[in-house]
Formats: sequence, C-alpha cells, structure tokens
Amino acid sequence: MPALAPLTAESTSLIEMLLTAQQQLSAVEAFALCESSGVEPVDGRYRSLIPLSLPEPGQQYAFEVDLDRCSGCKACVAACHNLNGLEEEELWRSVGLLHGGTNQLPVIQHVTTACHHCLEPACLQGCPVRAYEKDPQTGIVRHLDDQCIGCQYCILTCPYDVPKYSKQKGIVRKCDMCRTRLAEGEAPACVQACPTRAIRITVIDQQEASDDCETNLFLPGAPEPGHTLPTTVYKTARPLPGNLLPADYYAAAPQHAHWPLVFMLVLTQMSVGVFLADQWPRLIAGDRGEPLAHRYAIDLALWLGLAGIGASLLHLGRPWYAYRAVLGLRTSWLSREILAFSLYGGLLLVCAGMAWLQRWGVHVPGTLTGAAETSACVFGLAGVGCSVMIYVRTRRPFWSAGATTTKFSLTCALLGLAGALLVWAVAAARSPESATDPMMSELRHQACRWLAAAVLVKLLLECSVILQLRRTRHGPLKRTALLMTGELKPVMQGRLLLAAFGGVALPLLLATGWTMGASEPTQPLFAVAAHTLIVAAMLIGELMERYLFFTAVVAPKMPGAPAS
Amino acid sequence: MKLDLENVAPALRDGEAVAEGDHQSPPRSVGATMVCGFCSTGCGLNIHLRDGEAINLTPAADYPVNLGMACPKGWEALAVLKAADRATQPLLRDARGHLRPVDWPAALTAFCQRFKTIQQAHGPHSVAFLSTGQIATEEMALLGCLAKFGMGLLHGDGNTRQCMATAVVAYKEAFGFDAPPYSYADLEESDVIVLVGSNLCIAHPILWQRICLNRQRPEIIAVDPRTTETAMAATLHLPLRPKSDLTLFYGIAHLLIREQWVDRDFIDAHTAGFEQFSEHVAAFTPERVAKATGIDQATLHRVARIIHRGQRVSFWWTMGVNQSYEGVRTAQSLINLALMTGSIGRPGTGANSITGQCNAMGSRLFSNTTNLLGGHDFANPNHRQKIADVLGIDAGSIPAQGSWAYDQIIAGILAGKIKGLWVIGTNPAHSWINQNTLRDILGRLDFLVVQDMYHTTETAQLAHLVLPAAAWGEKDGTFINSERRIGLIKKVARAPGQALADFTIFQLIAEYWGFGQLFARWSSPEAVFRILQQASRGQPCDISGIEGYRMLEEAGGVQWPFPEAPSGEGDDVRLESLTYESLTYGRRLFADGRFYHADGRARFVFDAPARMPEEPNVRYPLLLLTGRGTTAQWHTQTRSGKSAVLRKLAPRELYAEVNPLDARRAKVRPNQWMMIESQRGAIKAKAFVTPAVPVGSVFVPMHYAAANQLTLAHFDPHSRQPSYKDCAVRIRPLERWDSA
Repeated sequence: MPALAPLTAESTSLIEMLLTAQQQLSAVEAFALCESSGVEPVDGRYRSLIPLSLPEPGQQYAFEVDLDRCSGCKACVAACHNLNGLEEEELWRSVGLLHGGTNQLPVIQHVTTACHHCLEPACLQGCPVRAYEKDPQTGIVRHLDDQCIGCQYCILTCPYDVPKYSKQKGIVRKCDMCRTRLAEGEAPACVQACPTRAIRITVIDQQEASDDCETNLFLPGAPEPGHTLPTTVYKTARPLPGNLLPADYYAAAPQHAHWPLVFMLVLTQMSVGVFLADQWPRLIAGDRGEPLAHRYAIDLALWLGLAGIGASLLHLGRPWYAYRAVLGLRTSWLSREILAFSLYGGLLLVCAGMAWLQRWGVHVPGTLTGAAETSACVFGLAGVGCSVMIYVRTRRPFWSAGATTTKFSLTCALLGLAGALLVWAVAAARSPESATDPMMSELRHQACRWLAAAVLVKLLLECSVILQLRRTRHGPLKRTALLMTGELKPVMQGRLLLAAFGGVALPLLLATGWTMGASEPTQPLFAVAAHTLIVAAMLIGELMERYLFFTAVVAPKMPGAPAS
Repeated sequence: MKLDLENVAPALRDGEAVAEGDHQSPPRSVGATMVCGFCSTGCGLNIHLRDGEAINLTPAADYPVNLGMACPKGWEALAVLKAADRATQPLLRDARGHLRPVDWPAALTAFCQRFKTIQQAHGPHSVAFLSTGQIATEEMALLGCLAKFGMGLLHGDGNTRQCMATAVVAYKEAFGFDAPPYSYADLEESDVIVLVGSNLCIAHPILWQRICLNRQRPEIIAVDPRTTETAMAATLHLPLRPKSDLTLFYGIAHLLIREQWVDRDFIDAHTAGFEQFSEHVAAFTPERVAKATGIDQATLHRVARIIHRGQRVSFWWTMGVNQSYEGVRTAQSLINLALMTGSIGRPGTGANSITGQCNAMGSRLFSNTTNLLGGHDFANPNHRQKIADVLGIDAGSIPAQGSWAYDQIIAGILAGKIKGLWVIGTNPAHSWINQNTLRDILGRLDFLVVQDMYHTTETAQLAHLVLPAAAWGEKDGTFINSERRIGLIKKVARAPGQALADFTIFQLIAEYWGFGQLFARWSSPEAVFRILQQASRGQPCDISGIEGYRMLEEAGGVQWPFPEAPSGEGDDVRLESLTYESLTYGRRLFADGRFYHADGRARFVFDAPARMPEEPNVRYPLLLLTGRGTTAQWHTQTRSGKSAVLRKLAPRELYAEVNPLDARRAKVRPNQWMMIESQRGAIKAKAFVTPAVPVGSVFVPMHYAAANQLTLAHFDPHSRQPSYKDCAVRIRPLERWDSA
C-alpha cells in the first residue's frame, strides 16, 4: 500500500462541506411540493370497484377477485402493508400460484388472497376472549385488537392462514377489508393498488354464498369451504383444468413449535395422570393405601398442574389479560379448557391443603376429601378432554379426534403411572414398613408392566403415520410423515430411543424385581433412582412427541408461491 | 408559463365520471413527486415528507406513466434505504487483506495514487470503469467525462450492455439513431400487440396495467417459449422453440409479402432495402419455419392475418430478444415487420424496445462511453469539436475512438491490458455471464474499486477499495425512462454515515486527481443538466428546450426530443403549442416518416439465423433459460433483498422450473433439491416441476447469484450483449455427497 499523501487543510474542509451538504434535504426548497393526501391514490377511478350502497339484511361485503386479471404483480400485498402501516414482516394479503394443465396447454394462475370474511368464521368461534366480531351490517369479520390476549388460537383454527401474530404487540391482527376506508367511500388498499383491477368489493347474498360452499366451488387448491363458508368470490371466464395444484403443494416446512403449549399439555396431562394413578391402590386397598405416597402424589400433581398452567401463560402475548379467557365459553374450547384446568388447579390446592391438615393431626371428614378428589379427577379429565377438542377443532388430519384423544390420554396414563411409581418409590424409601407391603410391591410391578404396554401402544400409534409414506397421494398426513422422516428425523429418533429405554426396557426390568444387585438396605434408594430415570426419560420423550405434534402438522392454507 | 396539471388531470381518469366534490378529503400532508429508481417504466412516486424527510410513499395518481399504481418494488423503494449493510464509510483493503474503514481523504488519495501508478506502468488505458443504468444522467455524464477527459481513460462501459445494447444497435442501424419511437399511451391505442421475449406482467407490471386500460380489445400475441403470466393473459401464445424467434419473424414477413399484406406506399416512401429483404425471406417458407419453431403452419398464417387485419399494430420486445447471440437481428426482424406494414409513427404502432433499468436510456445517450456525449460519435471530428466547445475543453483531449464493450474490458483484464477497474453501482460478480471465470478474472486486477450503496455486494467483497454511495432518494438528478421521458429524482432522505452522492464522489475524484478546474462548471446536477441540453442540441435527442428541473417537475417529466423553439418564437408561443396531451400523455417519433439516416429512410437489416453455440446434447440434454422471477426481485437483489416485504414476496431459495417429463426422466421429484450442471459449473436448486416450462428446458431466475455459474459467455457480435438464455445443462437429484 503506498503511503498516503499528506492531507491539506483545504481538501479536508471540502469533504466536510460536502458531507454536510449531503445531509441537507433539498426536495422542500428546490421543488414545488404537491399537496398530497396521506392515503394516495385518491380519486374517482376506484368508485366502480366498491359498492354504491350498504348491504341489505342477508347480504354482506365480500372480496371479488377476477382471476383472469390477476397477473401476479403482488402490488396488493405491498400496498396493504404500506397503507395499513403493518410491521416490517407482517402481511395481511398474499399471492399464491396455481399451476397445472398439460404440456400442450399449460396453465398458471396467480391468486391474490386475504381474509375471506367467512359466514361462520372459525377464528371467531375459537377465540376465548371474543376478540372477533362479525359486523352485523357489512359482514366484515373484525378483529378487536384491544380485546386480544395473544393466545393465537385463531391462527390454528382459521383454515386460510389469515390471522397474523405480532410478537412486538403481543396480539394477532388481520385484514378488516379496510372498513374505515370503505366507510369513507374509499376503496381498500388492495383494491385501489391493483394495476389490473382484479380485486373489487361486492355485496353478496349470504344464503347464495352458503349454497355455493355446499357445492365446493371455492377455488382449486384451497381448503374445503364447507367449514367456515368463506365469502370471497373467485371468478374466471377460463375453464380451469382439474389438475391445478398450488405451487407450494409439495413443500412442507416444520410449523411453529409453540413451546409453552408443548409444556402446558404434557405437564397438565402428567398432573392429571399422576392424580388418577394414585387413586389406583386406594381403589384396590381402600384406606390401606399408603397415606404418605398419597400426599406426595397430590403434591406432585399440584406442582405439575401449576407448572402447566404457568407454561400456558407464557404462550400468551398479553398474559396479564388472561383472566378474560372465560368470555368465550359458549363457543371456544380454549375457554373451556382454561376454565376446567383452573378449577382442577384450585381443587388440587384444596386436596393438598386437606392432606397437609391431616398430617398435622386436624381431622378432615373422609367425605370432604373424597368429594374434592373426585371433583379434581372430573375437572382434570375434562381439561384434558378440552385440550383434545382444541386441536380436533382445527380439522387437521394429524390432529384428528382419534389420534389426539389417544395421544393425550396415553400421555396421561404413562406419565401418570411413571409419576405415581416414583412417588410410591419415594414413599417406600421414607417409610420402611410400606416397602415390604406385598400388595404395593405387586402393584408396582403391575404398574411397570402397564407402563411398558402403554408406551408401546403409543409408540406404535406415533409411528403409524410413517406408513403414509407408502401412499401415492401427497396428502397432509404423507407430508407429516415426510417431515418426520426428513427435517424432524433427529427429534423422532430421540423420542423413540428415550421411550424405548425409559418407557419399555427399564420398567420391564423393574417389573421382574430386578434391583441391579443392590443390597437390601439400598434397594429403596435404587428404586427411587430407577424411577426418577424413568420419569425423566418419559417426560423428555413426551415433550419431544408433543413438539412433533405441533411441528409436523400440516396446516391448511390458501395456495402459496413456489419455494416459499 | 406554468402548466396547470389540476385542470388536465381528469383526462387521465380513463373516462369514469367523477362527481364534483364527492369525495372526502383525507388529512393533507406534504409530498414530493419523483421517479422510481428500480426499472425503466419510470413510475412517479409521491414521497410523503415530514420536515423535508421521507416518511412514506404512495404511487402518484397524476403522474402520466403509472396513473396511481406501482409494483411492490416501488411501494418498498424507501424501505431498502435503511438496510444495516449500507456502506457508510470508505473501506480500504489493508496489507493483511481485510477491508478496513478509512476516511474520505485517505480513500480518495488511495484511489488516485493506485490508478495513477497503474497508468504510469501500463499506459493510461490500463484503467477502465464499469458503470450502471441506476444512477442519474448527470452523474453518468460527469463520470464519463471525467474518466475520459480528465483521467485519460479510454475504456468504460455500463451494465446497460447486459440489457439494452442490442436494442441500441438495432435502432441505430435501422433508424439512424438509438430512438425507441413509442409512448406508453401506444399500449392503450393498439389493436394488435405483439410481445416478444417479454413477460410484461412480471417485468413491467405497470406497462401491463396500460394494456389493461386498452379499450380496443386488442389481440395480444405473446411470443415466449415459457407459459408466462403474460402468455396466459394473451389472446394468442406462441410457445416457440428457444432461439427460433428470428426464423419465426422472417417467416411472418414471408407470409405478409406472399399475401401482399405489406404497405407498399410506406415502404417506397420511407425505407430502403426492402427488395433485398424480400429475397432474403423468400426462403422462409411456412413449412421450414414451422419445422424450426415448432409453431404449426395454421398458427403462422393466423399470426400474419392478425397483423394484416390490425389497424394499429405494435411490436414490443424485452430481454428475450436483447439477451441473445443474434438479438440485434431479431430486434431488427421486428422493426422490419413494423416498417413493411407501415406500423410506425401512428398511435398504437411501433417497433418498441422496453428498457430494463431506470436510467438505461440516460446511460445510452449521456454516459460518454461507447458514444460521445449526447449520442455523438467519437470517430467524427465535427462531433468531437462540438462537444469540446460545449464543455469548454480542448478537442484534442477527446479520444477518437469509442470504448471497449463490457466483455472486451473483461477480456482485457485477462489479457493483462486492464490492470485497474472502477465499478460503479453494479454487481458483475453476480450478474456477468459465466461467473466463475469472471470472479477469477476480477481477482487478477491490481486495483478494484467498487462504488456502491451497500458494502456487501458480491463484487464489493472482492474490492480493494469500497466507496460508500448515497442512493436513489438521497440525491438529485434525472432519469430517462423507456418512453424517452426525462423525470426527476430528489433528495428526500439522508444518506447514512459518510456516504456521498455519486455526483459528489466524482467531483472529489476530479479534485484529488488534479483536474478539478476542468469541471468547475459542473457544480450541481442541474448545472450538468444544462450542459447536457447544450450537448444534445441538433441531435435526435435534442432537449435544449427544457427549462430546467422545474419544467420537468411541472409537466410530470418531458419526453425527448424537446428542442428549443426556433428563434423568433417566444417561450409562451411554444408552450402554448404543447398541450397536456402531447407533453405528458405521450409523443411518438417518426410521425412524418422521416428517419435519422442521412436520406431520411429506415433500413431493412437482416441476416441468416445462426444455431446456438451450445445446443443441448447427450451429456447436457436440457437448455437453460434465465429470466426474471417475481415482481419483488430486482436484478441481483442488492436492493430488493433489503426489504422484508419484498423478501417475503419472492422465493427465499434458488428454484428452477422443470417440465414434469424432464423431471421424471432425471428422477427429480417436485420440491426436491437438485443439481443443475453445465460445463462451467454446478448449482443447487429446488425443483419446481411445472408444465409452464417447455420439455427440454430448465428455467432459473437470474436474481440468485448461482445462476450465472452455469451460463456460457457468448455475445451478439453487433451489440456485444451477453446471451444469457441459451446453454446446455443437465439435472439430477441432490445426493448426500453434494456439498451444501
């Protein structure tokens, strides 16, 4: 590098002057400024693209997309982003691509899509805080941002992937058909920004729209319309070939893991499972059931339950408004789940309180403890049932009623058994007389066998989706299988190994009375260690399973773009 | 004096009644209208200002180009200015090979010393520059003049070589000057629109908008091997075999002549060479053409008949024609069709090349690279004297020859003749053909300077010195769009850090090099604009009549030519004759049938079609087509990749379109990663299996750096434009051992 020439004072000051000049903005003084409105473009040319009058009863506003005019420029998306002041990554409209036909007559068709302002909006029905309303006059499905607690359940229930979550704001937002603009006689952002006038707002007859959904004439490649009765009208004068596929049809990317929900589901289910499993010896032996183990079991169920409920709060964008979650009880399984688990948690506290009172010598009537425990069982099971329904309601094949019910109840069973076994082992280590109780010993061995059986059944069920790979059709379950054997394979393998070791091998060994040759006095401690290992392996395994439950699911959506 | 746009704007509102005062006026804020800085459409954007600084933008409703619309790039034009990787200070590569920040004096001193050292050792022409179609005309002119008249360079070219050189040469040979004859309004006036190698819907969505506004229910013939968006929307798609376009248009000419569907009067009065052309196309019988193009004879007849029946036939082409080894002749085959049918000079007609970059035409006319300033000829002593007089310099300092073309400069580096290179606002390490070789060649330079708004471009990463440039929106100047409309750009945002306008950087280089006095008159962009007006005087692109930036502002841009009124007529008289219609809505060339050749006649230029140099073969059975992917991507994505919205609107990863038949043969499954291999490189791409791409070809969007690892460096012999859209490749599924 040659030595730099000495700088003259002049040249340095010239540069400083130019740097200063660069920072001075000239447009204002140098040029005539146009008086511009905040929302350009505004003039009469869009008037033909919006209705002249408000909808009559039985009618509503709807988007109408002329597919023959949609050329895939995506100006609507950018304009919607710009004019609605969305966050950097937030898009309320998207443009997908359908393609197909034959080599002689290929067809590509871009499709612009936003909220379909459905007749029976699944977002609205699922919302636990009633943050959605369907405007009685315009039919616009509006999201009430200030009501939202950020639970994102609407994102799961909407089959069209419409609501978008803002991490920064902690709430979901979505297209409202620019209702304020419409009210002013202005066209929505997408409508006024479309260079080819492919999008317009029309007034539709709700009965007709519903009838159309019956005949399944919505859009090729779009989710089945019968579920939510979308109102967007896609029209074309061209016959679309029957083999049109979304450009992203073969793409499958792992979905959001929802970690707080993973923990919430597994922990609440384990809590309910432990609580139920602990009833087992008491059912067999009545009062002979070990009181120490019982107390431990209630404590464990309580802490697991509280941790699960706590984890669910972490999922919320605005957890301090969580109390609102019962507002949607009438329609939302999420509200029902939250209510059931809240009552379950409360009843567990009562049970635990009574157990401790008994320990301190306070007499608590058996009917009272019995009632509290039975109620806890009922609400715990109800909570798990509601959890199942939350996912079943999203109509995703991987989350079908059968699969979800089996998974969630088996998680209850096997984590409950594993937890109860640990509790019994700890109790046995603490009170030597119970260690030699032949009934408990036999029960533990039996529980170990049941545990291994439950794990095996669950693993078989989980692996059965892999059989979908043999299918020719590239359906949602096959895509799930592809994900599980592709990008998510390491998780799947880890899950299987942990379950095989902690859920099958170890319990079966213990069921044979195997103690690894531990001497008589150390045997209880060995049992505690072994059962801790089982619980740890099972818990991590179930968390992985639930992680796969969320990430390997294929969500319904409108047609997407290639390699998106 | 001032044109009152308020009174004329309703003319643009395409006939829909606007009741007086029937809309609510939204809250008012201050805005400045300026031209978009991405493509050559040249849309007007209304920049919303707060304290003089841009806070948002909306497409300008009263700008005669876009009528209130913009594509996503336009909507996001401001977002890309705020990227974290903006170049904010000069970077100089130190002895250990790391780019280190230095201050401007150190950078400029290094620039001058290193280039002077090279020139002393290897001669003045051993330093060259590669410029761009993305900076203001005034900046291009200053660059071209200071490089050639101050620094003593001979060779400098622009990246416009990659997009427009073919059209330039085609027009020059046919019309006598590089003069696209049309206005966008012609898209609304035509009853037959022939689009060749042009996916208007994606590459120029706002021009597609203008077609949608056409009330003549035009026949739209799309000529493209792929089933593009435009082909879908056309009334007739001709999916011809790649690179058979020249044969196709000769075949159409053959049919028009055979059926006597030509305009004899126009041919006799205004053209030369028709008889030879007739003899040439006599051999292009429908049988032969159908065989070569894959378009059946009935369709060929149908096309000829449509052209014959059309009253206002226009031919439009873009990169499918320009980026070809025989692009000039193909463009001229379209010009020939327009000439022989008299489809030129009237509303809705023309042989019309649609430009690529926002200021490609500024570069073509005023960059002082292959042409002397203002479309003059370096070889012509009168032209040299004229420009010397305008600039107030010695005519002897103007070289008597033009520059090497881009590919010749690259070859010059390889041959050791070019040792220093100055790259301004372009990214050859991504965009140049046969990239692996190009990167190797750039590595042989003694000194590589990259002047760019981002320090992360593939080329900047190779540089010895990076100069941080202010971007569109951070400086003043003018662009010239496809329809020859000169529009303004304005400084509405603050450049980050120490970034300076290219104009200022050029001024500083003149100062540090030691010839600052030579450019004393070039004090501001507007001062330069006035110099350019003088330089253009008497040329077809005469703009001497424009009254500074203010007139461009008031008229919504002005199309060239716009000569000064003949003496004796006052300004008022001339301006009166300029109706709103003529000034803003469009003026076309050749209404009088006079072309720019000395005899006033247009030429029929033609040649025998040639085979592509690397046809698909046994080892590489597929043909690689490249082109634009989405409206959200611009060229090498240097800018468009910086907007979150634009990123979301484009595929994240490189994908390639493959026909289902070829995919099945190669055992490539949909959405699977595959390798595309040519003799020059191998790249990884996701397979998008679709019949939209014809059997036997693979389409790769050019926006991903990998694409040009495959392409074959071959050029049109007349325009030196790279032929990006034909080379042989093969595909196979990605194997575990392929490097990621």
